[in-house]
Amino acid sequence: MKTIYIKILVFVMFFTGVLQLKLLDIAWENFKIIQALHIVISIVMMLFLIAPFIYKHIQNYFFVKNVRSIDGWLLLCTISLLTLSGFYLFFIGNRGGDIFGTLSFNLHLYGSFILIFFFIYHTNKQQKPNISLQIILASLISFAPLYAQTPKLSLTEIEGKKDAHHSEDWTNSIKCKSCHNDIFEQWSDSNHKHMAGSNPYYMVMETLAGEVEGQEFRKWCMGCHNPSGIATGLGKTTHAMEGNFLSNEMFEKNAKTLKSDFKAQGNFRVEEGVSCITCHQITKAQSKGNASFSLSLDRKKYAFEDSTSDMGRWFNEKLINSNPDVHKKSYSNPLYKESKYCASCHDEFHPKTDIKIVSTFAEWEKSPYNNPKDKSKHKTCIDCHMTNLQNNKFSPLKAVSTDGGVIKDDVKVHYFSGSNHFLSGLKNKTHEDQTIQLLKTSAKLDVDLKEGKLVVGVTNIGAGHHLPTGAADFRELWLDITVKDKNGNVVLSSGKLKDDGNIEIGSRLFQKVFGDEDGKPVGLLFWKYKKLLSDTRIPAGEKRVESYEINKNVQYPLEATIKLNFRIYPQWATDAVKTVYPNLPSPPTIELSKVVKEFK
Amino acid sequence: MKKLLFNALLIAIVVMSIILTISFLTPPKKIPEYNDEKLRELALERGLKPVPDSFEKLLKLVDDTSNPMTPQKIALGSELFFDTNLSKNKKTSCASCHSFDKDIKNRGVLLDTLTKKDQEVTNCAACHLQDQSGVDRFTFSQGDGGAEHPYLLNTQTILNSAFAKYFSWSGEISSIKEQSANSLQDHHKMNLTPKEVEARVNQNPKYVDKFGEVFNDGISFENTTKAIEAYVKTLVTRGDYDRFLEGDNSAMSHEAKRGLANFINFGCKGCHSDISFGGQSIQRFPLREFAQVYDLKLNFEIVPQLKRLDSEFPFENSGGYLGKNNRHLFRVPILRNVTKTSPYFHNGAVPKIREAVDVMARHQLGRHLTLEQIDEIVAFLRTLEGDIVDYGIKEYR
Repeated sequence: MKTIYIKILVFVMFFTGVLQLKLLDIAWENFKIIQALHIVISIVMMLFLIAPFIYKHIQNYFFVKNVRSIDGWLLLCTISLLTLSGFYLFFIGNRGGDIFGTLSFNLHLYGSFILIFFFIYHTNKQQKPNISLQIILASLISFAPLYAQTPKLSLTEIEGKKDAHHSEDWTNSIKCKSCHNDIFEQWSDSNHKHMAGSNPYYMVMETLAGEVEGQEFRKWCMGCHNPSGIATGLGKTTHAMEGNFLSNEMFEKNAKTLKSDFKAQGNFRVEEGVSCITCHQITKAQSKGNASFSLSLDRKKYAFEDSTSDMGRWFNEKLINSNPDVHKKSYSNPLYKESKYCASCHDEFHPKTDIKIVSTFAEWEKSPYNNPKDKSKHKTCIDCHMTNLQNNKFSPLKAVSTDGGVIKDDVKVHYFSGSNHFLSGLKNKTHEDQTIQLLKTSAKLDVDLKEGKLVVGVTNIGAGHHLPTGAADFRELWLDITVKDKNGNVVLSSGKLKDDGNIEIGSRLFQKVFGDEDGKPVGLLFWKYKKLLSDTRIPAGEKRVESYEINKNVQYPLEATIKLNFRIYPQWATDAVKTVYPNLPSPPTIELSKVVKEFK
Repeated sequence: MKKLLFNALLIAIVVMSIILTISFLTPPKKIPEYNDEKLRELALERGLKPVPDSFEKLLKLVDDTSNPMTPQKIALGSELFFDTNLSKNKKTSCASCHSFDKDIKNRGVLLDTLTKKDQEVTNCAACHLQDQSGVDRFTFSQGDGGAEHPYLLNTQTILNSAFAKYFSWSGEISSIKEQSANSLQDHHKMNLTPKEVEARVNQNPKYVDKFGEVFNDGISFENTTKAIEAYVKTLVTRGDYDRFLEGDNSAMSHEAKRGLANFINFGCKGCHSDISFGGQSIQRFPLREFAQVYDLKLNFEIVPQLKRLDSEFPFENSGGYLGKNNRHLFRVPILRNVTKTSPYFHNGAVPKIREAVDVMARHQLGRHLTLEQIDEIVAFLRTLEGDIVDYGIKEYR
């Protein structure tokens, strides 16, 4: 009577294990429950039922009855191995970083068949086959695949909900941190994370757009800057507060506010902005711009994935780690390596007039970097913007993306370095450093004196798009020139900053200037752009030459100092934002390149 | 020993199945799907009426013979409402906390602040004036000279208070006139004595004439509050919900309509009633699990800690306010524009609307709403958002 319980239990464990086989591919709803039950039942039974039984069984047969059974010992051996591998899988997991995980997984998988073989052999040898039990088992075996083939249950209600998702569907990025710590830390100070409520320039611009064009217009901004907000029905982006004061998020490291909000309100509170989920649940991307991506929050979740308790989440992580295949698949996509994925936001046009405002992807498409035929020359967005830099060179980071996972030769770093060294630099110097290194790879200077003219060439050697790109109407890339004569007197000067921080008039800037209908510069209201007043940006691989007249009567030798300077926002734009965010510092000028040359 | 364990396991399974059966046999309350006409009828029957779209209709609802709302009085009230001279340090007006732009049609404050020099608005106001929320968006109110509210109470919206019967968090005040008299005098608000108010009003020749025109007895403290009352009563808002009630079925989304059905059926409308969706009664909060809220919070770290949350409210009661007579009695807040007025509750302890809805359902209705129901109710509350109605009172005679 007692052994029959043990038999049933062992078979329950075996079948719940078999049902998880990839081969059977059972419906996810069933899989996640079976997986959780398999682990819980196994642990409980092993500790309280099977272990005591084995102990007594051995005592009874080996020591008292003196039975010598080799298959009995083999059975004990396999069951011990299975238990050990099971514990390893649950508590440490098959994360890919160590050989033991894979070993345990395979041992657990194939060992269970060996165990069942020995088990049946062992039990049948000692006594007459118990026919009724065998019938039950046989029927279970034959029904198992049938059960596995039940039609997939419709998983979530998201598809049914027309235009809004629950905040829970937007899994908070804090949850990702517990296993992907390094990636989280990179992202948490990046400009992708701080693109909505914690970005003073953005908040001012979104509010201004709402004021000038009507509140509905904010949604144009929010499509890329705050997709979770828009999907959960928010009409505008909100910023954090600390009591009666504006939060200091602009200067905070490691998403401190997000962490404390998550601690207080859990996933009940929607994480605004671009979270892990936003990018990692994109299924389709059209390279049209203006947030032209399809996002499916409908994914295979392991048991307790949405749990609100620490215990539930802990258990969930163990379930994922023990068999992470489905998790990996549901959060990555070959699409993520292609440039057109980024294009869904990094191209921008006016929603009503279709006038193109930002065309970074279109620029790349026409550049020599888009060369799918020659793989050695083909470079996508992530080859520069998600690759680690060291000593001013691309130096792929050898590290893990999951704690305890496989060491990858080129982990795609989530600093998302672009040109905005300033806002990420307020939080983290590593980010600032990565971005400045990237910026410095982009351009080369050359200087010559021809027919009494100082000729300066700037070549775009590193960027796969125009220089500057993005919101190029708010980027300042310019030449700072000083030429001194024999006596050290300045005979030519250009591109200096005035006392108020703005660049002096007459400087040579590489930028585009937007004009409105009447041909007047649009200033802050960039969406009013109708006529392009000037475009002096440098396309990928091309060179732009500026020449400066030098007075004929100067005394040689001349010493020319030429700097290529970059500033992320013009002073007048920062000054405007400062009226609303008084503690915003002014962005510094970055010297991308410098040449000092003497002409005799 | 083994037998014992087995029996225990069996008992556990039996108990579990009983619990599961009970929950299966008692399904959650189902809210029927109403068609648009039926829903409109239900809402109107329960008094959740629209805000009038003309000044005549508004007068019928809110005018009071003891203080008739004449256009001149309203204009005078508007001047007083935005006058910072009516505070001790001459820096605070009524509109400092009950914020919106004096010119309710003005949509250029932020652009002016960003592009022109020497603008007067503060940095918060530059962005938030356009919200027309009637609150300061702070956690707790701060009056003249930055004085904190002694109980750290959150500012309530002044918009639509014309339709309310009770005022202030405790509901002990029964008219806007009375409340504005308090606000002028409270040391943590405007901080003036009635005599000082009269003196300050007298200093301004513009007021001397206007008071003479409007009131028989000229300038007095009471007349000041009367004029403010007349103006405040015109500060009402209309939103998508009102347009829906007046026949525009497309004004509300399907989700918001479900939210309205939930709002009516779950019993929210029992307290948040009438045109203003609140302000009509004084109620206990929290009603369920009154007056102590216990919550066990388990933490499954390596060393588990069992934390017992034990407080009078389902959130931290900073400021220590306990409602009217310290008996947890509160005026039911007005829900029109509620989605514009975060943070929530008397001390602003709850930052987001979804959590506020959840707290209300749990502790006032004893109901655990599903995520979907909460989202639907929030979608409905958003349709109560609206701009201040411009009745064009100047031309009115």
